[in-house]
Amino acid sequence: MILTALADGSQHGYGIIGDVAAISAGRIRLRAGTLYAALDRLRADGLVAVDREEVVDNRLRRYYRLTSEGTARLAAEAARLQANASAAFARLNPAPNPILFGSLPGVVL
Amino acid sequence: MNSMPPLERGYRRLVACYPRSFRKENEEEIIAVLLATAFPGQQRPGIAESFDLLRGAARMRMGLTRAPHSVVTAVRLMCLGAVGQSLTLITVLVTWGSMRSAAAHHYPQYTAQVSRIVNDDVRGDAALLPVLVVIWLLVAWGNGRGNQWARVAAIAFAVLYTLVLCAELSQGVATVAPAALIMSGVTWALGVAAVVFILQPRSWPYYAIQPAISRQGAAL
Repeated sequence: MILTALADGSQHGYGIIGDVAAISAGRIRLRAGTLYAALDRLRADGLVAVDREEVVDNRLRRYYRLTSEGTARLAAEAARLQANASAAFARLNPAPNPILFGSLPGVVL
Repeated sequence: MNSMPPLERGYRRLVACYPRSFRKENEEEIIAVLLATAFPGQQRPGIAESFDLLRGAARMRMGLTRAPHSVVTAVRLMCLGAVGQSLTLITVLVTWGSMRSAAAHHYPQYTAQVSRIVNDDVRGDAALLPVLVVIWLLVAWGNGRGNQWARVAAIAFAVLYTLVLCAELSQGVATVAPAALIMSGVTWALGVAAVVFILQPRSWPYYAIQPAISRQGAAL
């Protein structure tokens, strides 16, 4: 979710928290401890990097961005989830088989 | 610090639990995010956010934020092992009297001697088991940081624990101290499960980068 939040451009910590909540329709509420532990790991893995720093109202605001590796990882993960979702939809709503139903006269659909 | 609002002071106390190197780089930013996400009029850090910060600090101090899931699971099992070991100690102390009675019942002709042996065993356990709790936690900490010595120690500890448990079973401890033996068995199972996780192929690369992690740890 953090990678998804950063896919649109660089964000600061508070922005990531808000974006994750918006993307998940309020289901996921990141807390600061969880966010910075995840950012520490993502930075160590080279998926996220610091973009720039600003001081707003005497408070440090650090912006994070996706690296090229992070972008590739997010794209791969999104493709995997899309394939899973497609498979699930295909099984939930199977297209009627015209040959099968054509050979069974009297079946009421 | 005294002129700070109580909410910020509370947050800073919690963030102080993080490793120094992490705080040096991130403290001001985390405080800014915490203050921005606080409720209007909030005076103290909430229970949930305090727990989240303390858990984050513990994970970071254990090196778990960068460890693969298999190592994280192993470390959790080792921490549970420390809890199991503590419960074993409590069980031994609580069932001390019943152990003496059971031993006397099995060896009625040597009541005084078996009572003395049970007392000596319990005193020995009371001295040894807290040390084992510390060893569990030390090995968990080392594995969380990806130290090779900790992985070897965990394997050696599990092997030793297996041998001790087998020896206790062969000496008939099950008839004298069944509750303590069950707790020891559960603790042993946690240790063996932890070793299985740290020996999984996906755990190996984490231990292979051990020198880099150690250098980072030295700066904490």
